[in-house]
Amino acid sequence: MAGLLLPAVLLVFAMMVAPMALLFRYSLNLYSPTELMIAAVTPANYLAAVSDPYYWAVLRTTLTVAFEATVIALILGFPAAYVLARMQGKWKGPLTLLTVFPLMVGNVVRAAGWMTLLGNSGVLNASLKAMGFSGVEMMYTQGAVIVGIVTVVLPYMILTLASVIESIPVNAEEAAQNLGARPFTVFCRVVLPLSLPGVAAGSALVFILCMNAYATPVLLGGARFKMMAPAVYDQFVRTTNWPFGAALAFILLFVTLGLTMAGSMLLQRRYKR
Amino acid sequence: MRMVRAILWRGGVGAVFASVLLPMLAVMWLSFFDQEVVSFPPEGYTWRWYVNAWDKKQFARGFVNSLQLALIAAVLGVTIGTAAAYALVRARFPGKEALGALMLSPLAVPGVVLGTALYVFFVEVENVIDVDIRATLPGLIAAHVLLTVPWTVRLVAASLQGIGPAAEEAAANLGARPWTVFRRITLPMMRSGVVAGALFSFIQSFENLELSLLLVGPGRSTLPVEMLNYLEFRIDPTLAAVATIQIVLIGALMLITDRYVNLSRVVS
Repeated sequence: MAGLLLPAVLLVFAMMVAPMALLFRYSLNLYSPTELMIAAVTPANYLAAVSDPYYWAVLRTTLTVAFEATVIALILGFPAAYVLARMQGKWKGPLTLLTVFPLMVGNVVRAAGWMTLLGNSGVLNASLKAMGFSGVEMMYTQGAVIVGIVTVVLPYMILTLASVIESIPVNAEEAAQNLGARPFTVFCRVVLPLSLPGVAAGSALVFILCMNAYATPVLLGGARFKMMAPAVYDQFVRTTNWPFGAALAFILLFVTLGLTMAGSMLLQRRYKR
Repeated sequence: MRMVRAILWRGGVGAVFASVLLPMLAVMWLSFFDQEVVSFPPEGYTWRWYVNAWDKKQFARGFVNSLQLALIAAVLGVTIGTAAAYALVRARFPGKEALGALMLSPLAVPGVVLGTALYVFFVEVENVIDVDIRATLPGLIAAHVLLTVPWTVRLVAASLQGIGPAAEEAAANLGARPWTVFRRITLPMMRSGVVAGALFSFIQSFENLELSLLLVGPGRSTLPVEMLNYLEFRIDPTLAAVATIQIVLIGALMLITDRYVNLSRVVS
């Protein structure tokens, strides 16, 4: 019966493990403008990337956007997740579907929506002008990218948190209430500590998605705004320096994984105390 | 005071859910605007951008390509994934957990890394076997099936969990042949997982951008890539019409599937 697994295992090896191994191998090669690539085993591309102020700036922008978007998504997503988790009756199903729906529609469509809203003659600016204010340049700013990314990742945060909050017995909250705790105290002393695993899982998932965002920064940030994922693609599309592009891709992967693991370890240690 | 707080709380939470839906509503609204330049409020409403969108070759072709790609990738992915999920739940062998994690790992690898890795891999394979893979349908299918397998494995395995092999063994003892057991017992048992897996697989492939981006070519592009290329220059009601079609298609698919399996239970 284990033979049923064979096609899937072969697929994952042929289409994921092998390509990633090859990309990693490329990242150790040398680039030459004439021969494109010279076989070598050298950390030169990684060193070149981390010693280049341009890519430092790109990485810093990516980290800033990812941190801010994760924190905002956590703050906005928690109350929404709580309401969804504690909801009873016939509206719970539809609201869950409505939360999943945007995830399915895709980032390009949602970025197009924000372009409609934030553009110089978009809905928000037209409303501002109609009320007698002067318009604000919103498109192609870091703020626009953060707004766009937050709404892209919010459903993931809400669904992850809601599934954990659902497993917290309502009794625990009611007991605290009966003992005289005010809603805010119940939240701080009961709900939040018990939902920390969800906070960790949701934040990690959302942070990874933010770090690797492509469509949102390209469309809402414009040509001058660079995050890591578009920078990686540029190396393959606009230049022919594949070893350097491969190194950038793995720097993005390692930084994301490293920070996610460090974050969840930190949270776990606090949780145990 | 308590009333005010309750209203603020509800309004705030409502605003969070609304903010996620807002961009989609905006783009749907824009697709009916009478004027071509995006400005508010609209001068009037029209359907003509939908005709215009279909007349634009890149969108019509992208739509047909994406539909074809997503259908084939979903059928292949659901077949491979269902078989794998069944074995993962029922079979006993060493290293099962590791294989299960491997099946789900394509979800964990960032799209950018996977997209560039597949690109260099396809170039390398092209050099060896001297057959085009980039900018072909088989190349795109091979990449997209990888996206669909984890979803199917997860959803089918979840639907099989807790259902013992007793019913299948009983049927076999009563003389049913393996194929009959599969068709009459096993498949109905995991139906909700397979249907949900098929839906998510189709959608994952249809809306995927990162994997397709480097693998498309002239004449063989997908709808999300065409939309992205267009949007890098401007947003107008024609693009909004294309986006609306995608929103409506995916919404309809979710509603239809929800009639057969309870989607809100499947995803949470």
